[in-house]
Amino acid sequence: MRISLSWLQEYVDIDVSVEELAHQMTMLGLEIESIEQLGDDVQEVYVGQILSIEPHPDADKIVVCQTDVGGDAPVQICCGAKNMKVGDKVPTAVVGATLPGGFAIARRKMRGVESQGMMCAAQEIGLADETDGLLILDEDATVGEDIRVHLGLDDVVLEIEVTPNRADWASMIGVARELAACYGKELRIPEVALVEQGPAIETLTSVTVEDRERCPRYMGRILHDVTVGPSPEWLCNYLIAAGQRPINNIVDVTNFVLLETGQPLHAFDFEKLAGKRIVVRTATKDEPINTLDGETRKLSDDMLVIADAKEPQCVAGVMGGADSEVGEGTTTIFLESAFFQPASVRKTSRGLGLISESSQRFQRGADPEMAEYALDRAAQMIQELASAKIAEGVIDEYPEPFVPREVTLPYARTLRLLGVDIAPEQQCNIIESLGFEMIRQDDTEMVVRVPLRRHDVSMEADLIEEIARLYNFDNIPVSLPRARKCEKVFAPNEQRIRAFRHYLVSLGLTELYNWSFSNDDEVERAALPASYRTMVVLENPLSEKQATMRSSIIPALIGNGARNLNYGVTSVRGFELGPVFFPSEGDELPTQGNRVALVLAGEMEGAHWSRSARAVDFYDMKGLVESVLEHFGVAGKLEESDWETFQGGQRASVRVGKQLVGTFGRVASTVARAFECDRPLYVAELDLDWLLTKRPGATQFQTVPTFPPSTRDLAVVVDSVVPAGELLEKAAQSGGKLLRSVDIFDIFEGEQVGAGKKSVALNLVFQSDERTLTDKDTQKAVDKVLKRLKHEYKAELR
Amino acid sequence: MKEQLEALQAEALDTIATAADLDTVEAARVKYLGRKGAVTEILRGLGKVSPEERPAMGQLSNVVKSAIGDALDSRKAALSSVADAAREASEAVDLSLPGRRPSQGHIHMVNQVTEEIIDIFAGLGFQVAVGPDIETEYYNFDSLNTPADHPARDSHDTFFVKPGVVLRTHTSPVQMRVMEQVKPPVAVLAPGRVYRVDYDASHSPMFNQIEGLLVDEDVTFADLKGTLMHFVHQLFGKDTKVRFRPHFFPFTEPSAEMDISCTVCGGNGCRLCKNSGWLEALGCGMVHPEVFRHAGYDYEKYSGFAFGLGIDRIAMLRHAVPSINHLYDNDLRFLEQF
Repeated sequence: MRISLSWLQEYVDIDVSVEELAHQMTMLGLEIESIEQLGDDVQEVYVGQILSIEPHPDADKIVVCQTDVGGDAPVQICCGAKNMKVGDKVPTAVVGATLPGGFAIARRKMRGVESQGMMCAAQEIGLADETDGLLILDEDATVGEDIRVHLGLDDVVLEIEVTPNRADWASMIGVARELAACYGKELRIPEVALVEQGPAIETLTSVTVEDRERCPRYMGRILHDVTVGPSPEWLCNYLIAAGQRPINNIVDVTNFVLLETGQPLHAFDFEKLAGKRIVVRTATKDEPINTLDGETRKLSDDMLVIADAKEPQCVAGVMGGADSEVGEGTTTIFLESAFFQPASVRKTSRGLGLISESSQRFQRGADPEMAEYALDRAAQMIQELASAKIAEGVIDEYPEPFVPREVTLPYARTLRLLGVDIAPEQQCNIIESLGFEMIRQDDTEMVVRVPLRRHDVSMEADLIEEIARLYNFDNIPVSLPRARKCEKVFAPNEQRIRAFRHYLVSLGLTELYNWSFSNDDEVERAALPASYRTMVVLENPLSEKQATMRSSIIPALIGNGARNLNYGVTSVRGFELGPVFFPSEGDELPTQGNRVALVLAGEMEGAHWSRSARAVDFYDMKGLVESVLEHFGVAGKLEESDWETFQGGQRASVRVGKQLVGTFGRVASTVARAFECDRPLYVAELDLDWLLTKRPGATQFQTVPTFPPSTRDLAVVVDSVVPAGELLEKAAQSGGKLLRSVDIFDIFEGEQVGAGKKSVALNLVFQSDERTLTDKDTQKAVDKVLKRLKHEYKAELR
Repeated sequence: MKEQLEALQAEALDTIATAADLDTVEAARVKYLGRKGAVTEILRGLGKVSPEERPAMGQLSNVVKSAIGDALDSRKAALSSVADAAREASEAVDLSLPGRRPSQGHIHMVNQVTEEIIDIFAGLGFQVAVGPDIETEYYNFDSLNTPADHPARDSHDTFFVKPGVVLRTHTSPVQMRVMEQVKPPVAVLAPGRVYRVDYDASHSPMFNQIEGLLVDEDVTFADLKGTLMHFVHQLFGKDTKVRFRPHFFPFTEPSAEMDISCTVCGGNGCRLCKNSGWLEALGCGMVHPEVFRHAGYDYEKYSGFAFGLGIDRIAMLRHAVPSINHLYDNDLRFLEQF
């Protein structure tokens, strides 16, 4: 809401600087979005009086004027307008002036005649008036006065954000009331004294409220002999400052009173109402209405309308209808002021996708008492500005007036909640200053009646908030609470997840963070197995790309890897710890699990002057997966996987005992291409929740060797198809207790070993805790290993 | 024998002094002091020396042995240092050549900040609690005093999974889940992913929040101020100014927003803070009686405060990141800067 400072001053005296006012409003909860100095873009424009008008010697459409702008001599201005005469006062921009849009006025020649400025039309100085020709000012304007001062353009506008609980703040009076309370000033609400004329309203029309729940109060007045025309300058200026466009005196008054009081009003062209009567009812299904914004809308049967005898003329509380719009030919108006149920207006407004000044106020809750004041205030203004006559009497359908709430506040509760001791007297003063009615006030508590405009106040805490606001949050002291011990640990794995994250980072991986969304196409492109294809679907996704909740992090990580390679990143090493989701029939909520996903691509070791780069391969990812398992104290077995996401021959499932813990491999070329990547990518995903159930116990001490190890290398030739890992396994089993470790240090295939054969070079480490081993000891063990390998795989010593 | 020893000493010292390399020195050691060396050889004749002279001869032989030994040591040291110097000279590196850096991983900016915030509050006795990303409307809204037609729902553009089930719009539902499980005291922090139907340079449909909750018999607004000021001073530095101003949230009463002095201009006014000198940091307030009612807590007995802050925003402020989209682009050229 835009608050014009000069308009605000009509209701309360403000004698602090704009900066101080803005600060105080902020500390009251009226958040300042911006402070705008109006007229800042209009410089060096004055009230000028035209002294003479002569024809231009060389141009038919231009005249040459001498204009007095209060200086020593008049200025000569060439002008193309036609609507002025000698003696008229007009806004005059002199040489050096600037106008909205950064337009600068300079001395120049027009067809040989010097022009020392420009006389302005309304829109040229930033006014909303779009009429052609110069803006002719009032006769009593002071020549030489700054045009901003003359037109009231020197106003300051504070744009505030009104929180949804404070409908009453969406009005000038509401804001003024708050400031009056804060500064201890008087709140001036304009007095209304109506002069009613002519026939009683009951003889002219009738109002039937069919839906009292959605319309608890409906008021109306009829005004005759209305002269529709432009509004006076002051009214236009206020509306423009508030961000509205002046339309005509009737509409402008309803808008003005809405902004002043927060009570939305609507004026119908009474002559256009069928049957000259009002029916407040719900619409029928698909009932059409032409709304004021030029659209034809279809209503639903839970929307409240203001209808005449035949059809809807207004969507209640949201927008009026075009058919009964007040215009130039209007002579009689029916002026509506009502209270509509907030939830109903909110639903209708959302249902139609139509948000208006009215709907915003009604859906937050208008003030049912303000309806009466606003109606009379508007009637009086229309009477004055449109020389209308107000019919006698008022319609007021309000069978069950709202009963103001009563709230009790024991003073001690304020101290308990705020931690500051505010004297009971001060507590009472604050509450009363905001317009609450004191019912009872004694040594221990106050009982107050809550004004109906304050829908937000219904309990003790609400009053304490009022006291805290006016007392000023800055004045509440600061204390640090002592640490509390809660009886339960809520996220026992949090610390371990963090430790795991740091572990992965210590391995050189960078943490990725993808949105939790996915979509069918992405899962399809990633060729995920069928069990991942049924995802949790969003009813209102932002776009097709975020239509579902992800069932796996793999597609995202393939995408991340692909894009980074395409960006030219040489080494992609990333991981993500995050949630995945699956529909869960019969349960209230879908199933949510946590996964760790890994991606490797590009170079594993970067190029250095001492060595060349090494590209990532399968065994980098395998080693990484093994490290992850080891971090959680488990060892896994790999099995050939059937995921089509991965390339055949380079894909594995990870099994720990009976548990399938995850999958990894090299992304299949077709899949990579579907993610716009033509380079090798390795991706893994493991079940983090399962891993977190594994808690490695405290590692137990093992004797630190005191005798030196003895190492032996053993190269054997076996059939190519023999898995090297099995040779390791069998060697470890057969090497006896002196064999401490066995590893593969070379694999070789080629002519030397024969077709279909390969050489596997094992490195065996022997050690004893009791003595230094002799060659005989180790040879005995090596022989046993070799015998076993010969037996099982027909291995030949190379 | 005396002459023999003296002559041997002279010869040995001369040999050692002229030894050109360590091998020659070692050979001299064997020749003179070895088990079958010259000194031992001479001492074999000790039996033929008169008993009166023997102690003197014994002493002399020790002197000779020690003199030769010293000479060997010092010659060895001298030759070693020459050899070392030659080797070291040949091994000199080019200091200006690039070293081999171990590859460095990076924690995502959001989690760096999350971990830091958790640590600050852990020091005040808060523990982490978690809840599901996909939530019931009850936990996300209704139990937090935000019934279906509440205008506050308009500001939470909510993703729906089905009627009654939403993507949580904040991590506040975790506070209700926690309070249902235990009686006060409660001091928890709930970090996590949250979702809103909103996407532009400053909004991401998924972002991260931390919700905090402290409930006990004597928690006040002053405690709220003190706790959050401590937090700001830890995270942004002691000179950061803090301001609490009234605001509205359905689940707190009184409610406040906390501003911090602008991290760019320090409060003088700049483009980031729209010349106000302040930046909105988080929302907070005293837990609303309705929320306690849903949790089964007695408002007469207990009071508490809650706060919720956007981790992304804090991270962006701290690292001067211009758009939230960088956080979820997963561009390593961005992530590896931090």
